[in-house]
Amino acid sequence: MLRTTGLTKRFGGITATDHVDFELGEELTSLIGPNGAGKTTFFNLLTGALTPSEGTVEFERDGQWIDITDAEPQETAQLGIHRSFQITNIFPTSTVLENVRVAAQAHGENSLRLWRNVNAFEEHYEEARRILERVGLDGQEQVTAENLSHGEKRQLEVAIALAGDPDVLLLDEPNAGVSSENVDDIKALIEDVATDHAVLLVEHNMDIVMDVSERVVVLNQGAIIADDVPENVRGDPDVQEAYLGGYEAGDLERQAATDGGIV
Amino acid sequence: MSADAAHQYEPDSWPVQYLQDHAIHIAVVLVFLAYPFAYDVLVDLFALTAEMILPEPDTMLMVFVLGLFAMSFDFVSGYTGYLSFGHAAFFGIGAYFVVLGYNGQLPIVPAEFPFLALLLLGAVVAALFALLVGLLAFRLSGVYFAMITLGITEIMYVISQHWDYLTPGNSDPATGTTAGGANLADFEPMIGIPFIDPLNANVHPGFGDTSILGIEFGDSVIVAYLLVGLLVLICYFLMQRIIHSPFGRVMIAIRENEERAKAIGYNVFYYKIGAFMIAAFFGAVAGALLIVIEGTASPDTTLFFLVTGFALVATIIGGLGTLAGPLFGYIFLESVNEFLTREASGGGLQPWLQEVLPESVLTATIGGITVDGAMDAFMTGHGEFYAGIIFVVFVLYVPVGMLGTLRLRLGSETVARSVSRRIGRLRADDTTGEVDTDPPAETETEAGADESD
Repeated sequence: MLRTTGLTKRFGGITATDHVDFELGEELTSLIGPNGAGKTTFFNLLTGALTPSEGTVEFERDGQWIDITDAEPQETAQLGIHRSFQITNIFPTSTVLENVRVAAQAHGENSLRLWRNVNAFEEHYEEARRILERVGLDGQEQVTAENLSHGEKRQLEVAIALAGDPDVLLLDEPNAGVSSENVDDIKALIEDVATDHAVLLVEHNMDIVMDVSERVVVLNQGAIIADDVPENVRGDPDVQEAYLGGYEAGDLERQAATDGGIV
Repeated sequence: MSADAAHQYEPDSWPVQYLQDHAIHIAVVLVFLAYPFAYDVLVDLFALTAEMILPEPDTMLMVFVLGLFAMSFDFVSGYTGYLSFGHAAFFGIGAYFVVLGYNGQLPIVPAEFPFLALLLLGAVVAALFALLVGLLAFRLSGVYFAMITLGITEIMYVISQHWDYLTPGNSDPATGTTAGGANLADFEPMIGIPFIDPLNANVHPGFGDTSILGIEFGDSVIVAYLLVGLLVLICYFLMQRIIHSPFGRVMIAIRENEERAKAIGYNVFYYKIGAFMIAAFFGAVAGALLIVIEGTASPDTTLFFLVTGFALVATIIGGLGTLAGPLFGYIFLESVNEFLTREASGGGLQPWLQEVLPESVLTATIGGITVDGAMDAFMTGHGEFYAGIIFVVFVLYVPVGMLGTLRLRLGSETVARSVSRRIGRLRADDTTGEVDTDPPAETETEAGADESD
């Protein structure tokens, strides 16, 4: 569906993405890595929010690979690559329904019809209602988006990305900040959308990752250090090293003791 | 409640539904239509008291024009979130285009070309100019957009003060250019349906026709008021149409969250330029209508940055992002201005007090100054000063403006929708005797009767 070749992004002296060769298939793939590993940067490169320093991004459409390395975010979105954001990024003072409706309207020519009333385009309302029902926000249609609870905002975040029926869905921590009792809802949502979209998921909650993923890709300091089924990644020593940084049992106590000594 | 709440009374034919949906618009238009006649009646009845409170029809004519300009400012600023600080440029283009076109100074355009044609042509030219400005300014975001547009307008202002081409008769360009040259009465701005004489009228407030459709009003100001008002109304409905279209929703999405609008697939650059061009078009129409009233286009009344400044003030007071709000904002501002003028220009507080208060109070001295003198010094003629204070108060305490506050109170997206729902409920009660279960949690207030969008 989507592949990168030698994808590299440098910010000054820092290499945030380091020669990444990656191909996203139909299986639900998770992208994990410690904080600052370059996961969001990688997303931004895929959607065109950032331009790569080197390498290419290609998207498969009707069996043809098209180069989208220099495409703008709206172009990748039109092609069918949608994303949700790590930090909630909605239309705050519009209603929940309008948030999704305007996203549905983006696909097609109707946005240029300035002489017709928006209510004449029932198809966008229908699509929005369908999606809201799917993410579990039906009944909240007329609520102003900024008044939703945090968990509901995360659901809306995904709902906006679902509008327009994308081929590829990039979910950037849909679970971020969601209270533990709602984790199952988000998990169910991820599994549900993965049934009819190619999903690349960034997630910090390892329970979710190991549970829902069919494939896990581990990023550390911008480079892929593991790419396998969840079971194998879990036992990979490189991954443990990346996450724990050589931490061994008892390190914290020893650290605390040293700090205490200084004070 | 869903946007199509109105559809629940299915038996209605569409004209009935249409009337219901636009009830508040019709009411407001009727109030405006009746205003100049009501003004005469009320002034006859209550003399100075009415004169003090109500703005003159003359003033209202100016309010229409500047209100339209402020609406066009609000169209782009309030709905896409990009403050068009150089909006006066389009006002100026519209105004100068009419004057220069009428005086035969424009290439291709023949002299004494019909006013309405000049108005439309000027508006198209302004829209094309907005395209050029937009291509440059929309590369930047927020504040920088405001600065670039302001800068471009300042350049135009300075040029208009020194460019001899604008004034054929060797007079100073800074004092302005008059349509029809020296003789004001030569300028005959006709508004109406072209080529059908009875449906046309010269709307020059000083020398224009005093009748339309064979109805004699005896006052050219009233004819101008009605026809200029009609044009402003048409412009308002066109802009409102666009705001409520899918295109308008994209504008709002850009205002709400431009990054996300891009991420869901909108090329926001084109939408912003489109909105800017539309706003420029209507801004130029307002500029052309200014010439109807003033006859003269001068740098200070058209291209000066404070022209935009007053539109901004009216927009903030009326409500940013409400479209009709700026017009009501202007009415409010002009009323304050007139409230603090002398008798000759529409009456005001001082003439009224002079009549009401006994002589002894007026001539009493406080700290070496008579009460009458104090009013002269601190109040009368300082409308703009008080308008400034009101502006600050609005920004601090009524940040969403008059119409915005009304919408919040009604708990509705627009006042028209709220009124339509309410009428629908009343009619449902009448016909079926059942209480409608339409559930929106609204504060029941009837304050909306006179203002709408």
